[in-house]
Amino acid sequence: MTSRPLHSPAPSPLAPLADPPVRLVDGAAMDYLLIEAVNALRASSAVAAARAKKIEQEMAEAGILPLPPPPPPMKPQQSHRDSVGSMTSRTPATSPDNEEDEGVRTRLEAIGLHVGGNFVERLCRDRPLFGDSLDAIKFVCKELWVSCWDKQVDNLRTNHRGVFVLQDNTFKPISRISSWQGRSEALKHAKIYVALPAGLIRGALARIGLHGTVTTEITSLPHCTFQIKLPKNS
Amino acid sequence: MATTSKQYKAIGEDIWKGRTEKTNAELFALTYGALVVQLIQDYEDYAEVNKQLEKMGYNIGIRLIEDFLARSSLGRCADFREVGEVVAKVGFKSFLNITPVVTHTAPPSRPNSTHQQGNVAGSSFVLTLDENPLAEFVELPEEALDGGLWFSNVLCGVIRGALEMVQMQVQAEFLSDVLRGDESTEIRVTLLKYLEEEVPVGDD
Repeated sequence: MTSRPLHSPAPSPLAPLADPPVRLVDGAAMDYLLIEAVNALRASSAVAAARAKKIEQEMAEAGILPLPPPPPPMKPQQSHRDSVGSMTSRTPATSPDNEEDEGVRTRLEAIGLHVGGNFVERLCRDRPLFGDSLDAIKFVCKELWVSCWDKQVDNLRTNHRGVFVLQDNTFKPISRISSWQGRSEALKHAKIYVALPAGLIRGALARIGLHGTVTTEITSLPHCTFQIKLPKNS
Repeated sequence: MATTSKQYKAIGEDIWKGRTEKTNAELFALTYGALVVQLIQDYEDYAEVNKQLEKMGYNIGIRLIEDFLARSSLGRCADFREVGEVVAKVGFKSFLNITPVVTHTAPPSRPNSTHQQGNVAGSSFVLTLDENPLAEFVELPEEALDGGLWFSNVLCGVIRGALEMVQMQVQAEFLSDVLRGDESTEIRVTLLKYLEEEVPVGDD
């Protein structure tokens, strides 16, 4: 074992502090978390909705609000778990179902907004400012996509008037979704799950300074299209 | 053939290195954090949120264990002490890339017991997490501190769920959390009882 000189020109021990190596966790852990997060959010959104309805009811009875129309018959909450799939079976969309799905979707998008904004702050730390919106979108297509989903966007189109279409042929968050009930069910689930990535993109763009909307379109798994509409003056 | 602590560490390292699919830990932390915030907004009750996080963890744990057993191909643990070692050095390492320190506690035993302490209900171990990937960017507000929120309670559920699938009924709970201003983050896992393997109805 040779002895090294005390003051070697090797990289300063402060280097890892300034540029910490990317910390990683297992991909499977993230997948499990997301699966169970959707279930947890479904339950919590039902609780929140029930509480809101109760308050409305009380206010109506107190005469503050006009009486609401009689609610449609509520489906009993399904808590039975399927050992194979991550989602329980869903009957065709009745009104309470749609409310539930909407609740889950808004919550997933809100989570995505938070994650996207904060994550992009960390990614952009050493970057200079973006030249224009096209640069920002390209950053999203390349660096953000790679940091989150290990690949770049497959296709980017724009009409140069604030509308961008991003296509990903194998979008990682939905690439493994399947349903024992068949492809149409799997597609339905994917449309809910994709709310989180959509929120992520929207949050990231907002933090960069571009406030627009992100809509998703999934015609066949795992192909996914994101349409970003930015306001005209950016 | 008892596997030493060092060997478990090595096994954990190998599994972690062998994993091809890894995600950015920040993404993970941010997602979990936003989820907890959303649950707090929905339930408006910190005790309930603790419960829901634990339940979520339980559901994760019962799936996670399959993944773990498939990857690690470890056999049955000889005693609860070994369970603690495996959970800390292999389990946490392969999923979260952290190695909490394990401290074993013998059960409140009768003074003249000669049998293996490690298998008695009441044995427990305490996991001390030096770093918590879930709490990467987190600061708890006053109300959460007063309300008794255990931010990373999902971990307790994961441990409980995973061990239940290998025939151990345990209780996992937080003892302290740096997010709450305590000195360290500690989870105590206590063995309640061993579960009998149940033969499915109709199998003979």
